Amino acid sequence: MKKEELKAQLYDEIAKCNRCGFCLAVCPVYAAVGKEWATPRGKNALIRAIIEGKIDWTPEIEESLYRCTGCRLCTQTCFPAVETNQGVLAGRECLVEKRLYPQVIDRVVEAIENNFNISNEPNINRTMWMETMEGVPENRFQKEKAEVIYFTGCVASFYPMAHKIPQNLVRIFHRAHVDFTLLGGEEWCCGFPLIQAGMKEKMKTLKEHNEKMVQKVGAKTIVFACPSCYHTWREMYQTDAEPLHSTQFIERLIAEGKIIFQDGRERIVTYHDPCDLGRNSKVFDPPRNILKKIPGVKLVELENNRQLSMCCGGGGDLEMIDPDLSSAIAKRKIEEIQKTGAEEVVTACQQCIRTISGYARKNKIKLKVRDITEVVLEAMSA
Amino acid sequence: MNRDQMIEELSKIVGKENVLFSETDLLLYGYDASLFKAKPDCIVLPNSTEEVSQIVKFAHREKIPIVARGSGTNLSGGTIPARGGIVIHFSRMNRVLEIDIKNQRAVVEPGVFTLTLKNQLARYGYVYQPDPASERVSTFGGNFGENSGGPHCLKYGVTTNHVLGAEIVLPDGEIIWVGGKALDHPGYDLTGLLVGSEGTLGIATKLVLRIVPKPEAVKTMLAIYNSLEDAGRTVSAIIAEGIVPATLEMLDRLTIKAVEESIHAGFPLDAEAVLLIEIDGLKDGMERLAERIIEICKENRAREVKAARTEEERAQLWAGRKGAFGAVARLRPNYLVCDGTVPRTKLPEVLTRVMEVGKKYNLPIANVFHAGDGNLHPLILFDERNEEELKKVHLAGSEILKICAEAGGTISGEHGIGTEKKKEMFFVFTPKDISAMRKVKRAFDPEDLFNPGKVLPEVQT
Repeated sequence: MKKEELKAQLYDEIAKCNRCGFCLAVCPVYAAVGKEWATPRGKNALIRAIIEGKIDWTPEIEESLYRCTGCRLCTQTCFPAVETNQGVLAGRECLVEKRLYPQVIDRVVEAIENNFNISNEPNINRTMWMETMEGVPENRFQKEKAEVIYFTGCVASFYPMAHKIPQNLVRIFHRAHVDFTLLGGEEWCCGFPLIQAGMKEKMKTLKEHNEKMVQKVGAKTIVFACPSCYHTWREMYQTDAEPLHSTQFIERLIAEGKIIFQDGRERIVTYHDPCDLGRNSKVFDPPRNILKKIPGVKLVELENNRQLSMCCGGGGDLEMIDPDLSSAIAKRKIEEIQKTGAEEVVTACQQCIRTISGYARKNKIKLKVRDITEVVLEAMSA
Repeated sequence: MNRDQMIEELSKIVGKENVLFSETDLLLYGYDASLFKAKPDCIVLPNSTEEVSQIVKFAHREKIPIVARGSGTNLSGGTIPARGGIVIHFSRMNRVLEIDIKNQRAVVEPGVFTLTLKNQLARYGYVYQPDPASERVSTFGGNFGENSGGPHCLKYGVTTNHVLGAEIVLPDGEIIWVGGKALDHPGYDLTGLLVGSEGTLGIATKLVLRIVPKPEAVKTMLAIYNSLEDAGRTVSAIIAEGIVPATLEMLDRLTIKAVEESIHAGFPLDAEAVLLIEIDGLKDGMERLAERIIEICKENRAREVKAARTEEERAQLWAGRKGAFGAVARLRPNYLVCDGTVPRTKLPEVLTRVMEVGKKYNLPIANVFHAGDGNLHPLILFDERNEEELKKVHLAGSEILKICAEAGGTISGEHGIGTEKKKEMFFVFTPKDISAMRKVKRAFDPEDLFNPGKVLPEVQT
């Protein structure tokens, strides 16, 4: 993106920042870093200074703009609701043009361009998560026509730590007699990592391909367990199929009597709102309604919940760009979870699980972190 | 001394990673929440009093100006490095050192957010009373420097009434204690002098605060008016009756309209003003007091008075007040918050004159303010990018302060003087008054190194 375009798109938005500093109270990056460059106010000031020609792109601006989780808690608590993350993402597009961006991004972009996914695996292996699963049908959950498409997402497809999510979700679908299919090797990355990297224009082919595949199946519904895929689809894609997050879909299945919970273990559970699901897509109630329906579960809220939920530290490519910073943010999240006294934290995002449980494991903190699909399947089987 | 040497010396004190000096960082520490900007030479982030002292000793030796900074939420340019030099950012010194419930004291470092302490106190059923609008992020160092207020200061007083002592780094780098945990310390009241001195006399590195039990009961009421004068008269009438509410806030027509458009707080669109009245204290007698307040409102022609019956209803009434700034901020890209205080009885007259200033400069002005203590906050709405408008805003802001001063009030309720209101100091002080203050400044800081160029205007001799 060129400076002129940045000005045309964002000058009015950024100009609404009065530098009041209220965002400093909630920004997870500032809480970890403690320097003005980390603040949403600072990021707005930098974009503004660029637009007004008071400063040129510098490595420090790169450092600042690439350290934002995209959680948008700043906007949520900002008086004029300045969309700082839009400025950050547009700023990254400008930085990419100047070739000023974290080099680690090149690896992911190369992977997406070569494999249509973020890993080093060929895309044909998109169903590799079935390797450790029993009872996989011959068609590997793929058929030409279906009512529902389950869009697995790159992390759940290729990273063993997250394989449980698709495994559990297809079992839920199977038991609830959902007519569904996967796109298998024809599911390409949704483009979310490219938007975050500041390379939005590169997602065009991915988007066109995915839209075509969905049209071909003729599905009415497309289900995502990944909040970022779901959010990207809602914001950027146009298909006839209704995009739903897995929690929304499961809530419907419960209402239709297709999911029935057996008795469950008595326990206290807390729920972490993933930023891209909660604040950014406004899906707050379905996961809570599901948990409340599960026998034995007592749901206690985190101190900051729903639209005020604190990021886990894994958003906006941050874990890839600056793992130490991501960890520092996860630490705060874990402290908040521990304060509830809950023995388990449930969430609905593979990235949140990865960030939270990764930090807990490395620091030998005993904490049960589970995806809601696992909790649902367990309660169906109990 | 050249900058490279300065950075090297400072790095020895706080470590390289805690000294910032890139062009980008200099821009980022050149602003606060006011309309002023400047550029420091570098920024340091110390982690202890000892480090602060060493930084200051170094700066004193080399005659480099120093500006202390917390979250940079201040509204009058108090943390703008007007003459360059070193900005000390206190984000790392953010520990709550002690909560002493039995003696009703807390000890904090200057970088602690006000609300962070309040949240910790809530567990004990205790509270730190001052509540600046920016409390969720305003630091205690900043509250100390600016003598911050807030809605509850009507009943409980401003920051100075709640700071009992402090550890101070003086402009030559020496560390001293003023006041302490006891209520009335002998000797000069240096604590009183330092609170509100805007970082021009000393830098607080530890603060001893008064904490008190949370009031047993709270009652919140909303009174709606067809005229601003009636609302203003009610304010005076309540206070004249000997009642001291915890808060007494007023919102005017433009604010009401903005609030209703964005959050639907249930304010009638044709109302000219609403008062948000809260009383707190012992449960016994509270209902009777509330009834009396409602009577006074009605005697002064309130067209409706609502009292919150539940915590939810109370939250709803406050939502309109708390959301007011946000709602108004959406009308134009920027706002200047003026801060002047007038005798309560003059409120209606002054508000009318404030609106005339808006008309004169063709700038919309919304009023949301602490009516109980006569502390006005006219919000002048504008677009900072429009230079013509920006000039007019400065003129209008100054004129509003003039009106406050002429009405027997003053030019700051709680935001300080900083860079913004130096020349307006002459609205309320004579050159002799200013010279007396200048002597105090010289006694502490003969080289004029701590936050130079703030608070005191030059006096022509």
